[in-house]
Amino acid sequence: MTRFRPGIGPRAYARRPLPRRGNRPTARCGPPPSGDNVDQVIEVNGLTKRYGAVTAVHDLTFTVRPGHVTGFLGPNGAGKSTTLRMIVGLNRPTAGGATIDGRPFARHRAGLRHVGALLDAADVHGGRTAAAHLRALAAGNGLPRRRVSEVLEEVGLEAVARRRIGGFSLGMRQRLGIAAALLGDPPVLLFDEPVNGLDPEGVRWARGLFRRLAAEGRTVLVSSHLMSEMENTADRLVVIGRGELIAEESLAAFAARGAGASVVVRTPDAAELAAVLALEGGSVRADGGDALTVTGLSAARIGELAHQRRIMLSELAPRAASLEQAFMELTAGRADYRAGARTDAHAGHQPGHATGHATGHQTDHATGRRAGAPSGGAR
Amino acid sequence: MSAGRFRDLLVAEWIKLWSLRSTAWLVGLGTLAIVAFAAQSSLNAYQSWPGFTAMEKAMFSPLDEAFSGLSASLLMIGAGSLGALTIVGEYATGLIRTTLVAVPARHRVVAAKLTVVAVVTLATGALISAGTFGVSQAILSGRGVAVSLGDPGVLRVLAANALLAPVAALTGMGIGALLRHTAAAVVTVCAALVIVPTFFRPTVHQWLDDLYALVPFYVWRVCLGLPQVREDPALPTVAGSWAAFALWPLAAAAVTLIVVRRRDV
Repeated sequence: MTRFRPGIGPRAYARRPLPRRGNRPTARCGPPPSGDNVDQVIEVNGLTKRYGAVTAVHDLTFTVRPGHVTGFLGPNGAGKSTTLRMIVGLNRPTAGGATIDGRPFARHRAGLRHVGALLDAADVHGGRTAAAHLRALAAGNGLPRRRVSEVLEEVGLEAVARRRIGGFSLGMRQRLGIAAALLGDPPVLLFDEPVNGLDPEGVRWARGLFRRLAAEGRTVLVSSHLMSEMENTADRLVVIGRGELIAEESLAAFAARGAGASVVVRTPDAAELAAVLALEGGSVRADGGDALTVTGLSAARIGELAHQRRIMLSELAPRAASLEQAFMELTAGRADYRAGARTDAHAGHQPGHATGHATGHQTDHATGRRAGAPSGGAR
Repeated sequence: MSAGRFRDLLVAEWIKLWSLRSTAWLVGLGTLAIVAFAAQSSLNAYQSWPGFTAMEKAMFSPLDEAFSGLSASLLMIGAGSLGALTIVGEYATGLIRTTLVAVPARHRVVAAKLTVVAVVTLATGALISAGTFGVSQAILSGRGVAVSLGDPGVLRVLAANALLAPVAALTGMGIGALLRHTAAAVVTVCAALVIVPTFFRPTVHQWLDDLYALVPFYVWRVCLGLPQVREDPALPTVAGSWAAFALWPLAAAAVTLIVVRRRDV
């Protein structure tokens, strides 16, 4: 059994710990390195999935460590769900592989005790009650029956436990999926677009839950196609586009990739102010009407300049570097490429791309880079 | 390690089977319908008995009143659909992904499913076989034409009647695993288990007879379901018929294991 080692953080369900029935120490080679709990690391190594001529995931390598919420970002169709499914062994990789606790997930017998995963809230049978659904899952992993009521309470579904899932809203199904993921008190949690369909209160609750699970020392990977969802949740990001890794870094480092901080100004004399600010070294973009977006000058300096020239301002708002913007800029080239051509045959005819990333990969495709991809991991 | 015991998987599959209301309805109503059909048929014979000709009386088969070809068809279609739905229900809804993340060892999940479905349908089949026999012979004994368990061939017929259910159910699971689509699976179950074999008759071609002798519903009709088996090269033997009863569920179980293990979900 893989369990938390003391000192990592408070146990999630410290109030109601699972009975430690027949703990079996996992074979380890020496002490785990540098404070990381090696048992909880998700390692994705050269992961590739092809469906005929279409490559959904290409040579993806990244590592997800415990103690953080890691955001798994990418535009729709980037291969996030395919990657998560390969991590938990539902889909067989064309090449490469993924390990949790240092071994492929499919080798674990009681999956829920190692990994809790909400892949798709629709992956339930509408004819069963919420309680029966969870009871079957708990039974299959030898978990005590009281875990069912505990997780139902945790996600706020105890009142509808005896209602059939078919009548649940998407938000309720998401909560049920989260409940199922928490059943086995697992050290690793995967959530695929978990806040879809949740109301604002539910979104806030889910974010709080993810942060709490990470603070308890668990490994938490949350996928989304919306950067804004990650801003208040994730500490680290794994960003993919068109099935390839774009970035694997901290949230702050990722944000810094976008255009820097800017200031939004509204004024009836937009043209005059724009001229003044440009003269002072600011870079000004007219957003239409009375709005300007200024980079290179602080809000204070802009206010001072406007005051000197007796230009009335109706709004003066500093904007931090936008994650959304960084995300859009980094993935734009990928989306472009995907829309243009998906197969290698077309790659050579693609025009050049604005971002170095896209151009680099395009060349790789044209020259048949996949020949060198690791293939030993295919099972 | 206590986690991952096979018993846990059996419990999980048991919960899954009975937490769907359709299971209780199908098993309950199906059992009642077939037993009621035996009662109705036997009462009919009881009342008509004085008017039967000597020829009709000589040809009368009390076991046929208990469990006719129609009863067998109903039982096979019901059990086959139940077996198909236990696996199609997982694939069609996407539940299979949740199931396999919870228990990544696919062959163990399939083995547990096969076991639970086999046990439940065998129990149901046994109940139906015993119930129809008891009800009909109680009625027919009023005319002195009932048979008893000790009469030749009777126990074999009752066993064959009961086994139709698990044979059909496991075959249905194999079909469900292959097709993974509710309507297609149920239609195929009906066609393969009952409708097509209904048209099989002994022929003058030995190879065709040998082929027919591999089909459970056919061997039940012309051999296992009859108290007296005729010796005829065109007809299947008792031993061969039991082999056909074993062949289908075993092949279906193997197919289910292979396709569930190999396919992405």
